[in-house]
Amino acid sequence: MTTSIILETPSPTLGLIPENGLSVVHTSPPRVDGLEKVTGSALYAADYSFPGMLYGKILRSKHAHARIVHIDKSKALALEGVKAVITHADAPKELHAGSPAPRVGQMVADQYVLAEKARYFGDGIAAVAAVSEEILEEALHLIEVEYEPLPAVFDMVEAMKPDAPSIHGTERNLVGPPFIIERGDVEEGFAQAETIFEGHYETGRPVPCYMEPNACVCRWDRGGKLTIWSSTQCAFMVRGILSQVLGIPAHDVRVIVEHMGGGFGAKQDLYQHEFVCAILARETRRPVKMEYSRKESFLGGRSRHPIKITLKQGLGKDGLLTAREVRLVSNTGGYASHGLGITAVGCLDIASLYRCEKNLKIEGISVYTNNPIAGAYRGFGAVQAFFALETQIDEMAVASGVDPLDFRLKNIVGDGDLSPSEHHILGDGLAVCLRRGAEEMGWYERKKMGRNNSSPLKRGWGVGTEMHSSGAYPDIEEQSNAIIRMNEDGTVNLIIGMADLGTGTRTMAAQIAAEVLGISLGEIRVIDGDTDVTPFDIGAYASRTTYVGGGAVLKAANHLKKQLLELASERLECPLEDLSLIEGRVFAKNAPNEGIAVRDLVSGEGGRPPRTLIGQGNNEPTVAYSFGAHFAEVEVDTEIGQIKVLQVIAVHEIGRAINPVAVAGQIEGGIQQGIGHALTEDFIIDKKTGRPLNPSFVDYKMPLALDMPKIKTIILEEFPDPSGPFGAKGIGEDPIIPIGPAIGNAVYEATGVRMRELPITPEKFLKAFAET
Amino acid sequence: MRPFDYFEPATLPEAVSLLERFDGRASILAGGTDLLVEIKERIRLPDHVINIKKVPGLDYLSYDPVDGLKIGSLATLHEVETSPVVIEKYAGLYQAARELGSIQVRNRATVAGNICRASPSADTLPPLIADNATIHTFGPDGERSIPMEKFFTGPGKTVLLDGEILTRINVPSPPPNTGKVYLKLGRRAAMELATVGVAVTLTLDGNECRSVRIVLGAVAPTPMRATDAEDILIGKAISENAIEEASQAAKDQCRPISDVRGSADYRREMVRVLTGRALRMSIEAANEGNSPFDISTDQTVD
Repeated sequence: MTTSIILETPSPTLGLIPENGLSVVHTSPPRVDGLEKVTGSALYAADYSFPGMLYGKILRSKHAHARIVHIDKSKALALEGVKAVITHADAPKELHAGSPAPRVGQMVADQYVLAEKARYFGDGIAAVAAVSEEILEEALHLIEVEYEPLPAVFDMVEAMKPDAPSIHGTERNLVGPPFIIERGDVEEGFAQAETIFEGHYETGRPVPCYMEPNACVCRWDRGGKLTIWSSTQCAFMVRGILSQVLGIPAHDVRVIVEHMGGGFGAKQDLYQHEFVCAILARETRRPVKMEYSRKESFLGGRSRHPIKITLKQGLGKDGLLTAREVRLVSNTGGYASHGLGITAVGCLDIASLYRCEKNLKIEGISVYTNNPIAGAYRGFGAVQAFFALETQIDEMAVASGVDPLDFRLKNIVGDGDLSPSEHHILGDGLAVCLRRGAEEMGWYERKKMGRNNSSPLKRGWGVGTEMHSSGAYPDIEEQSNAIIRMNEDGTVNLIIGMADLGTGTRTMAAQIAAEVLGISLGEIRVIDGDTDVTPFDIGAYASRTTYVGGGAVLKAANHLKKQLLELASERLECPLEDLSLIEGRVFAKNAPNEGIAVRDLVSGEGGRPPRTLIGQGNNEPTVAYSFGAHFAEVEVDTEIGQIKVLQVIAVHEIGRAINPVAVAGQIEGGIQQGIGHALTEDFIIDKKTGRPLNPSFVDYKMPLALDMPKIKTIILEEFPDPSGPFGAKGIGEDPIIPIGPAIGNAVYEATGVRMRELPITPEKFLKAFAET
Repeated sequence: MRPFDYFEPATLPEAVSLLERFDGRASILAGGTDLLVEIKERIRLPDHVINIKKVPGLDYLSYDPVDGLKIGSLATLHEVETSPVVIEKYAGLYQAARELGSIQVRNRATVAGNICRASPSADTLPPLIADNATIHTFGPDGERSIPMEKFFTGPGKTVLLDGEILTRINVPSPPPNTGKVYLKLGRRAAMELATVGVAVTLTLDGNECRSVRIVLGAVAPTPMRATDAEDILIGKAISENAIEEASQAAKDQCRPISDVRGSADYRREMVRVLTGRALRMSIEAANEGNSPFDISTDQTVD
């Protein structure tokens, strides 16, 4: 795998960057926490240990749907070293939603800490605390569970039938009411069409294989306060839901997230161990550590939602879309988690991307089944929706004899069109990405060498596009906070609510503060991931951290800067507007050689103690959109059905790259995960028993280094958004979205086989190839 | 991990007597790359683990033209995949060794361990059987030698008797004009368990196939010879028709199951495709007298 990065900044910048340019933002310094990570001294949740600490583990259901008739824990309790065994009888009877509370309407409270009924194979039904992990293992085997197996349903269409077994007692196993979008008259739109296209699309069940399996350590102090060290993207959500379920006030729960080995959205949810660990620690009056094995991260984790989409579009004589009708059904598994949110986002996304504002009808349904829980995963609903849309757009172009790129350029949304959130789009980002990528790869000159050669190896190119919101609006009214405190030596403590799940949040935040305050990165210490210390933040997800959280840092730094300048104005007897703050010094613009060091402004002198200056930033933007287009070249072995991605040209318009190398890292990682989604990654559940068949890295296949293509990343800053810090928009989720359809469309160009179901396994491909 | 008693015998007889004493409740540890994982996952729960790495004289890899290749039971896959004589004369084994697991695993895992684990998909088995290897053992009743083809009786099962230890694998020296290939089918370029493995060792006499052994992995409870396919080729002139006929025969003879890695139908079809490819590659190698693989791209830094 080789990679290269091109960063292209056009000259007009809408006044979003300082007159004299940027000096820290827009560069790629080493990460502020890089040294501790590479030297291994960085602490992750499972690295915490305390004297007298116990280990906890969950007993998981061996049935996909079963009532727990009786649990006999006596043998386990009799084993030496076992300190507690808990079941549903010992856990609070409090339903919770498992994820963002208390602010969001789209979550369904349908989970107990431990339930009397298992709703998927692997559902936790009891838990043990013991003095060693070896004793834990033995104790789990000594717990005797009497199950009453219930009929189970795994297929989302079957689950909606009237006679299907009921999982949560809801009508037709629906999680909530359908999500509907209707604009204009869709029948009228189809009547205007010259051609109507209809297809069924389906996506698989990839699992976010974050490097760090879930882990937490819980400790209660004598005052009744719980401290939990956890690997979570949403420390304040963990605090809120634990406080609700345990029945204690928020200030009696302290959540600490030091370092994290990834989350990809799944660690927005509270997992069972976080509750169970707190309960075991309370019951035993000892600290307890719980660490999932990789297998548990599969069984009790969160996958992407498998989604079935029926998509129908009309194409007019003029080559423009006339109507779009969509039915989207999403399989959320045994519990709702983000089922409703993902369905809504999928529907909103598929309403946009290609102009079809007049005649649109979309219905999205989220269904319970007895599969493992599907939850949030990078590209939340967009991955599935845009796979369907981008595949069908390609089909429409081919069928109407128009180059797929030209067809896209003619219909793609641009400046002023409706975005998924129904805002008007700022800038022609999609067209710009498409044109730039086409130019880079020579789209119109490319050899379509696929189908006519005699070799079983066929090559072809394909393109996919995406747009993604920075932030969770309109699902969530966005808000982030930052506090920045200047110390008596001129250094600062930057206190942020966001978590750094490994993406570089701390470095991004420090760069923004350093830029504003005219100090170096070394003079900033970022404090984060501690609910007792930092301001509230809903968490690190939704491509929101730089756009929303970075914006809060910018405001806090500006607030502090204003106070510094006011102080300096008094001291230098110079009007505020004539002052500059550069490289740690404040001076009058007309006398750059005089002035005062920031340090001297804040340090005490002459018996006066030092001042504490505090800047505060609260940022409540709505939304901005980033845009992307991926061009992928594949080679298909038509005898064995294997597809190799040879190269990818990834073009993303993100307003401003605060840290270009970090941006490219997100893009390359998104491509790696997206290739997995498209070709090899699928968590397979036995259709008869609901038992997961590949809950390990032996048979769950992520692409590895040798599978990665050559990647050329082009970062465009054509349309900086006034609501983002220095014009920056999000990048976290974008790159996982367009790579899938780009690969599918490339397979079509190479072989003439249209794949409408992900992942494209060798067997699926060969079957389709034999039929064409 | 479940606790066990641990032993480090200094000699083979000592190891054998420990095995006898614990009567089926002990496991031999050589590389440990399978054993420790299986203990951790409670697939195997030995009360006793006998590490044979302290037994001297088992960690060799040697070759001479008369006796061929000798692989001691402690020789690692890394030693095999980097051995010039293996690369030159045992190309199938070389390819199987370099595609097995990861570099970290290959640094510890032994060929003998890969054999004794007797996984139907084990990579080194098909090429060694194709090369007509012999297995040497030491046990309570002394030494035995067993044709490797007869060594496996089912998944995880071999003809090894209680108390017997595999000491050496012997692989004959190839005659001139021999081509060897191992093709492994997996979803990724590395870190794979074979969905199908096909090994071919083929010797040409002019344009005639003097001998050929075709061994299939992961399509039966043990590695299996595709004898029907071999019969079609032996003693006949090489032709594209014969290759296709033989590939079809291999497909018809194999007995795969469906599992998460592939359906039985897919595996059968892949036996046909890969047998054809392996035959063509081995014929080319036999003609040129070269290893069919470009060894200059050795993946030591992957």
